[in-house]
Amino acid sequence: MSRVSENSSRRVIDYSLNRNKRRMEELQYQGASLKSMTKPSDNPVGNVETLSLKSRLVDNEQFNKNSEYAKTFLTNTEQVIESLTEIVGKAKEIAIAQSSDFYSPEARSNIANEIIHLREQALALGNKRIGQKHLFSGFKSLTPPFDSKGNYFGDDGHIHIEVAKDFFVPINLTGRELFFGAKNEIEIDSGKDPLKIKADKKPELQINRDLASDETNKKDNYTNQKSLFSQLEVLASALQNDDSKLIQSTLENFDAIQNRLVTLRTRIGSVTNSIMTSQNTIEKETINIAERKSTLEDADVTKLFSDIVRQQNILTSSYKATQGMLQQSLLKFLR
Amino acid sequence: MTNLLNIGASGLAAAKKSLQTTGHNISNVNTEGYSRQRVTQHTNAPVFKGGIMQGTGVRVTGVRRIHDQYLERRILSNNTEKNYYENLHDQLSQVENVFNEMEADGLTFVLNKFFNSFRELANQPENDVIRSVVRDNAVLVTKDFQRVHQTLDNLSHDIDLNIEQEVNGINSLMSTITYLNKKIANLEAIQDETGDFRDQRDLAVKKLAKSFKISTYTEDDGSFVVSAEGVGTLISGGHYQELGARATSKEDNSSKKDGSYEVFFVSRPTNDITSSFKGGRIASFLRARNQDIEGLKKKINTLAFNMANFVNAIHRRGYTNNKAIDNTQAKSQNGQIIGQQTGVNLFKVPTSIENAAEALELSDAVKKDPNNIATALEAGKPADNRIALAIAKLQHERVMENGASTMEEFYLKSVGKIGIEVGKAQFDRKQAEAMLTQSETLRERISGVSIDEEAANLVKFQQAFDASAKVMQTANDMFDTVLRIKS
Repeated sequence: MSRVSENSSRRVIDYSLNRNKRRMEELQYQGASLKSMTKPSDNPVGNVETLSLKSRLVDNEQFNKNSEYAKTFLTNTEQVIESLTEIVGKAKEIAIAQSSDFYSPEARSNIANEIIHLREQALALGNKRIGQKHLFSGFKSLTPPFDSKGNYFGDDGHIHIEVAKDFFVPINLTGRELFFGAKNEIEIDSGKDPLKIKADKKPELQINRDLASDETNKKDNYTNQKSLFSQLEVLASALQNDDSKLIQSTLENFDAIQNRLVTLRTRIGSVTNSIMTSQNTIEKETINIAERKSTLEDADVTKLFSDIVRQQNILTSSYKATQGMLQQSLLKFLR
Repeated sequence: MTNLLNIGASGLAAAKKSLQTTGHNISNVNTEGYSRQRVTQHTNAPVFKGGIMQGTGVRVTGVRRIHDQYLERRILSNNTEKNYYENLHDQLSQVENVFNEMEADGLTFVLNKFFNSFRELANQPENDVIRSVVRDNAVLVTKDFQRVHQTLDNLSHDIDLNIEQEVNGINSLMSTITYLNKKIANLEAIQDETGDFRDQRDLAVKKLAKSFKISTYTEDDGSFVVSAEGVGTLISGGHYQELGARATSKEDNSSKKDGSYEVFFVSRPTNDITSSFKGGRIASFLRARNQDIEGLKKKINTLAFNMANFVNAIHRRGYTNNKAIDNTQAKSQNGQIIGQQTGVNLFKVPTSIENAAEALELSDAVKKDPNNIATALEAGKPADNRIALAIAKLQHERVMENGASTMEEFYLKSVGKIGIEVGKAQFDRKQAEAMLTQSETLRERISGVSIDEEAANLVKFQQAFDASAKVMQTANDMFDTVLRIKS
């Protein structure tokens, strides 16, 4: 090494102390925040990935919320279907019992009152709502779907909810589907354009392969006459008029309605299932994302603290070296 | 015998001069830019006397500073480079802060919240409260776009002020250098020592090299010339070209932004020379302002412009939920609009991409009443959530850069880019700092004062002084002896 001057050694000291202290400061900051990066430049690629992961976590939170909301809606719908199934069951029992000529007209007219009561129950179920929202009005959720005569005022809108990224599920049954037996193919579709979801497409008459009798389905016309309410009305008036032929004829219609309710319930069930499956997927994904995010942004604590200790030692020894250099001078020995 | 006395006297004078110089060195040990000095001495011209050559003592020929001009030149360019990266890193770090979402929430977060609030609204489009939440989140989006744009604008303006200050500093340095040039020329004319003034001039030149890349040389007639690379001669002997800085309109500046400061010669005010400077602080200011900040602003504006238009395009197709009145036609009664309407914008339609982020705000209709947020694709259907779903879906749609990226990805690319730029500048800065330290250490090894060395010299020259005095004393004694013989 060439000549050493006061300032050259001071510069070397400054430079190495500064470098060591800067490194120490970085480690110190990481130790205090336990994050391996605090600004984009610490790890540009990792930072961007962290931000998009963070965004996906918030999305998933919302999808979870949506799923819960959809499930509540579906559970309520299912309860209504269950109650309706009971009502239809009761009506069918009565119709079977009354289809023979065993009972007197007086008794029948009493029983007719029970049927009218059942019809009112069904009507009340049809107008059920959560908060201000009617379950069976389609998109016209603020309008009660049925009047006292059983006329439908809703539409055929199917409300879709996004329960996972680009995964939209229909959550409602329209009054027409539930009470009139209109068949509207709603598929649980993914990646669908919400603006292309069909709204007011009039449900087409279709042969329902699920139902027991083809005969019934051909008759299953999209009219007021074939609604659950009207069937109950027919039964009630048949009982009042003591018309056992007519009573008998309602039987197969009740069968059809019962089958329809089962089908709808299955549909609700399958939608609920798909929501739960997607919730499970989201939950797993959330764990994975959290893990990935942690590896990206959290400091490796073991390594960090051993680094800090090491760096402290380096700093201490450079102080010692500096001490030796700064305190020595020829002048001391010239006295 | 007189000879001997003279020889002693010359040694005494030389030792005294050396001691003086040693003292000067010691007292300037911490003076910035000081180069240690050495007395140059030669033997006096010998005389031919009595058939033999005789020495006549010592002669001080001057005081020389120990100095390596090639090393000085290297320090100049190291200094320019270090200051370029140092300043670039400082400036870009500030820009980076605008996009730092590690500790505070930024644009990614508010955009995400905005789209998710539409998802929440899609669950219950009948709910007025959620509609207000959507509006609040939309306001946050506009505020954050404004924040980012505003902060970038402020940074760019700070740079303008910095450039102005830099130019003032440059002018005062140039005037110092010309003053020293004249001083040195005058002293050289009378053969006086110029080492200390040269040190001062070197220091001033070194400071000037922080601002831009310069080269220096001495003309045949001895005048010292400083020129800025790419610009031309700034100082020649006793004259310099004064620089100025002023705000310019976007037609004739380098940043294409109104009010940007540009540098020019005061004598030629129409000639913008800002971008001609190479390296140093001026170039780094310019790069941060014209390239990085302007580039980011353009990105943010593009994002704001497209976001507003995409959301509006869907929103306009929808029907508002004005108290969900089952009325397909909007009716105006005494200027009051009742019933549902379609064709309402969520954001005020941006007029141009330029400044779209700063001008981004909610449309008047939505500002007035959150019920003017549309969710339904058809009128009179309060539970119709298709518009809300479609807007929420925009979040994951690849709508930017011709379908290459989503809005979030587009934004994050900019964040990543500034991160990379800052990282690069930081790396280069460390390198340049190490280079400069290395050459400055080398300079201090050559030109710096060593106390130990000076202490040893002090002893050495004192002994020489003592010995020379002894020589004179001896000569005196000899005189005495001779005189005693006479009496």
